[in-house]
Parts: sequence; C-alpha cells; structure tokens
Amino acid sequence: MISASTDLRRRQDNKIAWFFCLPALIGLTFFIFFPFILAVFLSFTNLRLGSPLPLEFMGLSQYSRIFTDTAFLHALKNNTVFALIVVPLQTCLALLLALLINQPLRGMFIFRTLFFMPVIFPLSLVAVVWILIFAPGPQGTLNSLLELITLGSWEPRDFLHDPHLALPAITITSIWQGVGFQMVILLAALQSLPTELYEAAKVDGACRSQQFFHITLPLLKNPLIFVILVTTILAFRLFDQVQIMTRGGPNYATTTVMYEAVSAAFGSQQVARGAAMTVVFFIIVLALTLLQRYIVRQEGASS
Amino acid sequence: MQKTLRTFITIFFLFFLLPSFTGCKGQQDVKNDSLGGKIQLEVWAHAGQEKERKVLEQQVARYNQKSSTAELHLTFIPERNYNSQVQAAAIAGDLPDILEFDGPYLYNYIWQNHLLPLEGLLSQSLIADLLPSIIDQGTHGSHLYSVGSFDSGLGLYARKDMLSAINVRVPQSVSDAWSADEFKDILRKLAEEDEDGAVLDLKLNYGGEWFTYGFSPILQSTGADLIDREDYQHSTGILNSPEAVAALQNLQSWFQAGFIDPNLDDAAFTTGRVALSWVGHWEYSRYKKACPDNLILLPLPDFGEGSRTGQGSWNWGITRNCKYPDKASSFLTFLLSTPEVLAICKANSSVPGTKNAVAQSELFNENGPLRLFAAQLLGGVSIPRPKTPAYPVITTEFQKAFQQIRNNGDVQEALDKAASNIDQDIRDNHGYPFRNFQ
Amino acid sequence: MSVYLALGCLTLIFLVPVGMMISGSFKPDSLVLQEAGQLTSFFPDEIVLTNYQDVFARVDFAQYIFNSIYITGTIVLFGLFANSLAGYALSRLHWHGRKLILAGVIALIIIPLEAIAVPLFYEVTLFGWRNTYLVQIVPFIANAFSIYLFYTFFLGLPRELEEAARIDGAKPLRIFTCIVVPNAKPVFAAVAILTFLTQWGSFLWPLMVTHSENVRPLPLGIALFYTLPPLQWGDIFAFGVMMVLPVLVVFLVFQRWFVQGVASTGMKG
Repeated sequence: MISASTDLRRRQDNKIAWFFCLPALIGLTFFIFFPFILAVFLSFTNLRLGSPLPLEFMGLSQYSRIFTDTAFLHALKNNTVFALIVVPLQTCLALLLALLINQPLRGMFIFRTLFFMPVIFPLSLVAVVWILIFAPGPQGTLNSLLELITLGSWEPRDFLHDPHLALPAITITSIWQGVGFQMVILLAALQSLPTELYEAAKVDGACRSQQFFHITLPLLKNPLIFVILVTTILAFRLFDQVQIMTRGGPNYATTTVMYEAVSAAFGSQQVARGAAMTVVFFIIVLALTLLQRYIVRQEGASS
Repeated sequence: MQKTLRTFITIFFLFFLLPSFTGCKGQQDVKNDSLGGKIQLEVWAHAGQEKERKVLEQQVARYNQKSSTAELHLTFIPERNYNSQVQAAAIAGDLPDILEFDGPYLYNYIWQNHLLPLEGLLSQSLIADLLPSIIDQGTHGSHLYSVGSFDSGLGLYARKDMLSAINVRVPQSVSDAWSADEFKDILRKLAEEDEDGAVLDLKLNYGGEWFTYGFSPILQSTGADLIDREDYQHSTGILNSPEAVAALQNLQSWFQAGFIDPNLDDAAFTTGRVALSWVGHWEYSRYKKACPDNLILLPLPDFGEGSRTGQGSWNWGITRNCKYPDKASSFLTFLLSTPEVLAICKANSSVPGTKNAVAQSELFNENGPLRLFAAQLLGGVSIPRPKTPAYPVITTEFQKAFQQIRNNGDVQEALDKAASNIDQDIRDNHGYPFRNFQ
Repeated sequence: MSVYLALGCLTLIFLVPVGMMISGSFKPDSLVLQEAGQLTSFFPDEIVLTNYQDVFARVDFAQYIFNSIYITGTIVLFGLFANSLAGYALSRLHWHGRKLILAGVIALIIIPLEAIAVPLFYEVTLFGWRNTYLVQIVPFIANAFSIYLFYTFFLGLPRELEEAARIDGAKPLRIFTCIVVPNAKPVFAAVAILTFLTQWGSFLWPLMVTHSENVRPLPLGIALFYTLPPLQWGDIFAFGVMMVLPVLVVFLVFQRWFVQGVASTGMKG
C-alpha cells in the first residue's frame, strides 16, 4: 500500500525533477559542457585564432609539446607550491580572525565587514593597488615600511621582479583578498557551536587550548574541509594577479597554468595549445578534488 | 501574500527580459544604414593618450561636417589587448569599415583576407608623398594595404649638461652614432657621477610590444634579426646567431652593472635621475617640459653594422566589410592632408606621415629638434618589424626572451628557445602561405 | 579590551591597500606614485576632485554603470530561479539519473571561464550574439557552484513541512515556492551576493564579445584608462572607487542573510 504510492510518486518525481532541472541543465550543457568538449577536441588539432588554413589533426602533439615546455612545467610547479602555501596559511589566518571576532562583545560585526571588504574588490583592482605597495626603490610602500621597522638597514627590493620574491608577493596579495571570505564562513560556523559543551569542559577544568583542540576543531571539520577544497580549486585558477603584476616572470617564477593557457590562446593566438593546457588543468584539479574527498572519507570512517 | 509575490516576480522578470530581446543590441554595425540620406561608416581606433584622442574626435567631426554624403561613427577600443579584440571581432565578421591597427599586425589581417588594397582608392600623388617607411610597412606583394598619418621615431634622449660633465662627444647624426663599446663606457662614466648608479632609462615599466619595438633594432644593428627576411620561414640561426647573443649579452651587462633605472614612476628622466632615456617620439613633449634648454636627441648605439632604429605605428586600413570603399578612402585622404597630419602630430609628437608635412613641421623639418627621427625614416635607417602573419608569435617570444635576459637568465638559452618556438609555429601553419586574392 | 586592540591593529594594517586607493583617487596623478611610501599616502595634502571629473568627462560612466547593473542583475535574478530549482530537485526528489547529474554538476564546478572562453566564443558567434546584452548574460545564468550551494542547503532543511504538504497532495512546485523558498532566504542571499561579486568584475568575456560602449560593463570602461604610460593612477583609482561602491552597498544591506546563508551551506561540507 505504501509502496504503490511511493512508486507513483517516483514516476511523478521523475518528470517533475527533469522539469525543475531543465533551465539550469540547458545552460550548463550548452555553455559549459559543450565548450569544454570542444576544447578537448581542439586540443588534438592545430587551431590558430583566425587562421584561414584548414583544421588539422595533430594527435597528442600539443600535449607532448606542453609537457616538454619549461614554461608550462614551471607553471605546474608554481601552481602546486602556491596551493601548498596559500591553503594552510590562508585557512589558519581566517580561523585566527574568526576566533578573535567570535567574542560576545559589541561592534564585532563591524570588524567582520571590514575584513570582508577586500573580497568585494575586483581582483584586477586589487592587483593594481598592490603594484604600488610592492613598488621598488625607497618610495614603495612595503620597502619604506620595512626600512622603518628595521631602522634603516633594509635594502629596497624590487619584489615583483625578483625571482625569489615575486611568487611570495603574489601569495600575499591573494591571501589578502581571499581571507575575508573564509573567515566569514568559519565565523558563522563558530557562532553556531553549542555553548553547553564549553560550559561542561570548563567545569571539567579544561583550559582554553584544550577546549580549542578537543571541542572546536572537531566540530569545525565540515566547514574547514569545504573551505580548504574551495581554496584549493581557486588556487589552481590563479590568473588575474599574475597577468597584471608580473606577467608570469621573472624567468617563469610566477607563471601559472591558466596564465600560460590564456597567453597561448590570446597572445600567440595558438588556440589548440591553450586548449590542451586547460584540459590538463581540469584533469589535475579533478584528481585533487577526488583525492581530497577520498582522504576525508577515510578519516571519517576511521574516527 | 503569494499572489503579490508572484506578480512582483513576474514584473521583475519582464523588466529584465525586455531590454535583452528588444533591440538593445550594441551599436549595430550600421554599415548599410542610411540615416537621413548619409551613408554611415564605422571607424575603430585605439584609445590612446588624451590629446591624441581629442584630435581624432575633432577630425572625425570636421569630416562629418564637410561631407554631404558620408557620416562617420568613431568607436574607441582600449589600447591594451587591442589586437585580440580586433581578432575576436574579425572572426565574427564584425569588423568596422575603417580600422586602425598597429603596423606589424597588418600581415595577419591580410593573410586572413580582411583588408582591401588601397592603391586604386588613393591618388598617386598622395601615395608618392607618403614616407618610404609607411609605404614599406603597408605594402605586401604588389598591393598597398595600409597608410598612416604618422610614423614613429625611436632614439636616445639625453640631458646635455650631464653629458658635458663627463666630456663625451655628442653624435650629430646617424652616421657617427656611438659604438656599443663607447656607449658602455659612457654609461660607466655617468654612473660614477651618479647617486644611485642608474643612468639609463629603458622604459622597463612599459609592457608588451615596447620591448620588441625598442630593442629588436639592436639585433639588426649587429647584423642579426628576428627572422630570416628572405622568406620569413625560420628564425633559428638568425635570432640566436652569435652576433645576436653577443649583442644581448652586452645589454644584459648594463643590467648587471646596475646602470638601468626601473622607472616605475615613469619619471626617471624627467626628474633628472638618469641622463639617458631610450624611448620614442611620444615622450618628447613631456621631456621638453622637464628640461627645456637641455634636451638633445641622439641615434641609438651602433652594435656593429650601423645604428638601426624602429618604425611603424598606428595605420589605417579599409576592411572587406566596407560597402563604400570610395567614401572610406576619402576619409583617409582627408586624414593624410597636410593640415590634418600636422594636427595629429602636434598632439602626439609623432613623425608626420607625408613628406610635405615633414617639411612644414616645426619639430621635424631640417632645422627642427626632432629632425633625426625624420631622417631615420626617410633614409632607410629604420627597419619595419617583421612583415609576416607570424608576427604575434615572434613578438611574444622575443618579449619572453627579453624578460629572461633582463632578469639575468642565460642569453643563448633564451634566444634558442624563442627561435625554435617561432620556427615551430611557422611550420604548424605551413609557412603562412598567402592565397592569391585581389 | 585587548581583543579590541588586537583587532583594531590588524584592521588598520589590513585596510592599508583600501586606504591607498581611496586617498589616491583624490590626489593628482603624479603624486600617487611618488608618495606611495609615505604617510601622506593616506592623508593627501591637497584634495583634488579632478580625477573624478576626468572619469565622467572621458567615459560615459552612466552608461557603463547601467550596463553593469543590468547585466549582473539579470544574471543573478535568472540564476536564482534556475539554480535553486535544480538544487531542490537534486536534493529532494527521487528520480533516475539524479546521482549522475549530481556528479556531473560537481565536476563542472572545476571548470573556470578562461578554460572554455575560446570555444564558447566560437559558439556564441555561431548564434550571432556578439555585441549584445544577451551574450553577456545567458551563458552565466546556470552555475554549477550555485546549484551545489542550493543543494547542500536544501539537504539540511528539516523535511517535515514538505512531507506534510506532500501527503496533503500538494504539487512539488507549490511546495517549493510556498514552503521551501521562504525558509531559504539565507542561501538565496548568499548565492545572490556571490554571483554578484563574480560577475561584477567580469572582464575577459565582455572584452572578447563586445566592442560598443553601449553594451560594455564597468571593467572595460576602466580599461580605457590603460594607455601608454605614464598611467593616470589617480583616474584609475577614482574609477575603481566608484566601481566598488555599489557592491559595498549591496553587501552591507544583505550582510546578515549572506553570512547565515554561506555558513549553513559550508557546514554541510
């Protein structure tokens, strides 16, 4: 008797579900899925933007070329290093800020807004301001600040053109822009934690750090994972800052996969090569995402 | 409550839906529309410095007033990524009637069959009056595809007093330009007198195309080049030849010795931090204002085969989309008339594109302060950037190599890589064969 | 008290770039770079309004801002509609292919615009949509990440009300609009703001597909100021300040809901 009605409901649900999904699915299929398939297809050809020559198949040549290209290999390395640094650093900073703001004091929401402000600025604008901050010579903001702090013993550096300092500079810019977003998520999660647990812990004599490690962190697991996953994906998409601040230099110290792909497609007009790079990018990020989810599930199973 | 919500939402949707579908399209390419009897022509130009833009706007306005049959509509496109935007429009068949473009990209457009030949549309006397450099840049095969109302000049601005202080000879013309060794010695002497040792401004704060424009003449001055100009099929052996490597290693040594000012505030020369500035005509008015009695213009150093310099600037062409090429060409004729040429050159200090205008120009006639620029363009000292559809790849690769060289990378390696990438692109495109079309 | 101090200091350091931008917009161009390393960077000696005047004189700012608001607003509105329905279907209804579509949606989150820009460009050129509002709106209505946010949020809503309505014989669409939506304000706010933020600064796509001023959005307007150096920093910052203000206003107004929404989606992980 119940199964008959659930069966009917299933069939009704089927039709309705497709109806509900239709607008979004049409959009996703036509404007993301199809173009991506086309990009995959193009990565096996020699397409050049606006070329009057007929299209030719090149098999896997584009792929073998990009994997033997020092620029692209540097890009892969930079993206990995960048992700490995930004994800933990930005997450810890966001957690710290969230903990600080999560006090039952007045006016905390003002701080929340202020720290979120950089997220609102378009990345291109953020990059432009930071160029001024990293300006070489004693006029640059960071240079003069460091000179002040070290009481004059700091040599002004050209951050954006120094092979060792360029990537850190971009990292700082990205963290500045992104930390507010993570902070808001973690803060909201913190604010919904039940206070009784903390009361009980205090009664048991637990100190602040014990409370943090044994109560807060475990309860924050889900939001933290979410935040880490999203930040990792965004870290691999790094593009705007590189284009505006360093153009991939110096000596490929800051080039990224997306930057190489866009340069190839729009700068050198080699569309097929750019397409191959984006396919590689997709595969890498997909693998990382699946890996992260797998690890999380393993830990969830064991704990 | 639900009903009002629903009606509210419906109204909202309609409000947003309507403009999307009812002709709020962008300026539809009004190629064939006639508004009040006048033929409408679409013109695209780059959004340059303010003075330059204003003059062009005024020129279009003047022309529209004069002409009883045609009306021009001018659109400014951001200068950064100009070529990409034009390419995107070209693929979609959206090009305007009259298109401005940076000289070296001409061959790309010809190869893609976007431009009409101009020799039938412009008068012979006008063509004869053009600077030889402009004709060189704009010609492919037996056709002239583009003309320019101005051309560019590239040289070395100097502060006379700083040079006198170290007692060096001042070249009077291209033929007695400093040699590369002499130049390095001068840099050294200047650095000794200088506070921070940085005495030369290479406009490192510029992006992109500047590096190819400003520094590939070094290659030509040493007997090398960006590509083999016989058949434009390969760069290996030319771009990474021993002469090229030696010359760019020399350049690299200037960086290593600290002679080069990073120039982020673009004021190294104007504030007197440096004595020399390697740049083009467009800085003249700013520099003149900064040191009115002290400014001299010198040829680029000679790296072995004579001082060479760059040329080429924004050119005009008529696209195949244009239904009224004769009307379009009458606008070009207007732009190339002496008073109009002088007007735009006054705004951006560029070299006038016609010999007539050069003779009448205060800056560029034989007694003018910038006569060197004119002389270089008239005398074949200037070399156009490679006339091939492979140009976008060539310039990208050279820029990358330059960045590595300036950051102390290995010169041979950088040039080898650039040359092989260029060669590969040319191979991929079957040598960029031109079909035979009118 | 010490918390206020710590936070105050952090905030000051944190907002240095913002301060530079605002004060830079009131300085003459030449001073912006020169004074970058000094305290006067934040407190200009003389306040000039020429930069703001320049922006209006040089560019049809009203047109650009209208375009941006119209394009972004439409994407957000239509997007809320399409993506919430999809998210609901994926989370609540039982149907064949649900798992497959869900997996597909999650995979699509990874693909950034830059990766598909060129093929998408060829596609819209084929449709003849170049240089319109349409081409800047339609491809961005459906968004995998938004669907995912809706999906996780709806999963977390208690089912009782919906179940009760179902037993009473209500159609799913009715249940959605009358029961679910009113209880989902936070996630709607969150998705609206996130979409608004991403689309407001969109540059690459409009650059490729439009050329006329009357359909181009704000970021392309600011691009007109990027000529040959010397760059007019003051003008650029003035433009930047004006570009960010509307977004700031939107955020301040919807802040509370936004934070709730973002938090409730994040927590499901």
